Amino acid sequence: MPPKPYRGRSRVIVLAAVALLTGARTYAQLPGEPIVFGDGRVTLGGDVSATYGCAHGQGIAGCGEDVGFFNYTSYDDSLIRNFRIDLSASVKAGEHISFLTEIRTDNLDTPQPYALYARIRPWRDRRFDIQIGRIPPSFGAFSRRPYPSDNMLIGYPLAYQYLTSLRSDALPANSDELLRMRGRGWLSSFSVGDPTPRAGLPLVNALSWDTGVQVHAATDLVDVAASVTTGTLTKPLVRDNNGGKQVSGRVAVQPVQGLILGTSLARGPFAARDVAVTAGLSTDDRSITQTAWGADIEYSRGHYLVRAETVLSAWRVPLVRTPVIDLPLRAVATSIEGRYRVVPGLYGAMRWDHLGFSEIQGSTVRREWEAPVTRIEAGIGYSLMHNLLLKVAYQHNDRDGGRVPTLGITAAQLVYWF
Amino acid sequence: MPRTLPFFVLVTIAAVLGDGAIPTELHAGGMANGIIRGRVEVRRTTTNSDRRPTVASLGAPPERERTIPKQSVVYLQSAPRGAFEQTDPGRAVMDQRNETFVPHVLAITTGTIVDFPNSDRIYHNVFSLSKPAKFDLGRYPVGRSRAIRFDRPGIVRVFCDIHSHMNAFILVFSHPYFALTDGEGQYRINDVPPGTYQVVAWNEGVTSDPKPAVVPDGAATELDFLLR
Repeated sequence: MPPKPYRGRSRVIVLAAVALLTGARTYAQLPGEPIVFGDGRVTLGGDVSATYGCAHGQGIAGCGEDVGFFNYTSYDDSLIRNFRIDLSASVKAGEHISFLTEIRTDNLDTPQPYALYARIRPWRDRRFDIQIGRIPPSFGAFSRRPYPSDNMLIGYPLAYQYLTSLRSDALPANSDELLRMRGRGWLSSFSVGDPTPRAGLPLVNALSWDTGVQVHAATDLVDVAASVTTGTLTKPLVRDNNGGKQVSGRVAVQPVQGLILGTSLARGPFAARDVAVTAGLSTDDRSITQTAWGADIEYSRGHYLVRAETVLSAWRVPLVRTPVIDLPLRAVATSIEGRYRVVPGLYGAMRWDHLGFSEIQGSTVRREWEAPVTRIEAGIGYSLMHNLLLKVAYQHNDRDGGRVPTLGITAAQLVYWF
Repeated sequence: MPRTLPFFVLVTIAAVLGDGAIPTELHAGGMANGIIRGRVEVRRTTTNSDRRPTVASLGAPPERERTIPKQSVVYLQSAPRGAFEQTDPGRAVMDQRNETFVPHVLAITTGTIVDFPNSDRIYHNVFSLSKPAKFDLGRYPVGRSRAIRFDRPGIVRVFCDIHSHMNAFILVFSHPYFALTDGEGQYRINDVPPGTYQVVAWNEGVTSDPKPAVVPDGAATELDFLLR
């Protein structure tokens, strides 16, 4: 299937950017702070971003599309050609309970609830909260800051966005099938389950939140969160599709101000019940699992900010036919990013990112079950106002497989928030 | 209502050129300085800067003081001759406490050094992109302080890069004829040489139309403002 034409979307993105810049000239027309009403009980905030990127590489003339699908989050949506509107709201229903929601639209598509949950604080003076509904992820560090205003660059770390060939509704029958899909995570197909080609799954999905219950407690030194949810890191869900629950948690410590060390764990069944049945497993079989471990560190001081995060994910899939798949299927993503404020309002940032995979034995070859990817992204951010940021970045992608192994992308992003 | 910045430019020009006011020499000719006092009533809603909805947080953020006094500033739009030389810059403090800049409004003369101590047990990063003073103090921990000297008159909006709900105003004057209102909205500009002046009230980025005030020899004049 050829890449989707972007003409209509490009127009939307350009118009949005112009509108934001025009808004910047007439500052009074844009809210500079969250909108508060109802005697302080209701607070509305928003993030609007317009991103446009051009790919350069062999056979690409002018401002090309991301033909390597390095930045796609589904078959249709790319992070580097995107106009996003996020509206968030919190409603205080009393001293101990609040309701929070976030509605998101990409490229003016139908708005979707990204978050919708109740936050309960049983004791007002203790930092202990229970959150129920479509909740923020407990796992990892980047998963709670995918907003353009929080992300120092334009692209996401590979662990949180790059689409592997694995799917939750279709599974490879053997290792040859899996190897055939190397580097084709944007549109993969397998024989077990739904045969329709669809986008694969990232290690951790930063574009969608899971549904369940979360408990969080914090002191000045330690921050602990644990969740039970219907989906998994790789496939968050609103409605359960396999009868299993994911358990995830994170512990973060701050031994000194400016230094945060975190570790996370998650485990849950990631495939739909239908595909498990097709694979010959019992209806409640929970052996098609994703287990993930994460570690992260952040240090900041003065004008520097440095972060590093690694996510190790292991998937178990049914062994249907020979040559059987060597289990578990492992992936390790590591990203290191840094930012330095050069002068007031201007910063430079860089991220190095690698996503590697375990090897499996096919009929004729032994190699990684997915194509390893290395990405370097460097850029600058310039604050036109305190809540209007322009980012320009260059991203270089290298992949050991797929139709497009190497691709450079230059992108600009305008971000406004209130 | 007009925005404030042009008035500060006028203030600077007037202070340097001695334009727009009766050319009274301070303490000259046996004349005693007077007082301008009155009240500023703010009828528009001035809500406190709330946090953006903390949807991505794992828990509720710490409680903040919800009643930060939003003081007004009253100042002479045109200052007497010699006022510019009379400024006596010193030091002022804008604390960062409970994720709030304290005070929320600071009025100073040019040349004043403002200290920004961090009294919270979390990082803050004070910055401003305002034309009179662009600065970024970086991240520093509790117990540390950094300072900036304000050499150009104007309004400086101060923010924290980490906590978007933290903001404050620093009004930098090239003359000493200004006053902050108290909790009741009362103000008092002391030691004003006798003469006729244009007086302006400011609150959270909104300015009043200039009002004339005649300061008699050694006496007080009353001038009230209403900001909608």
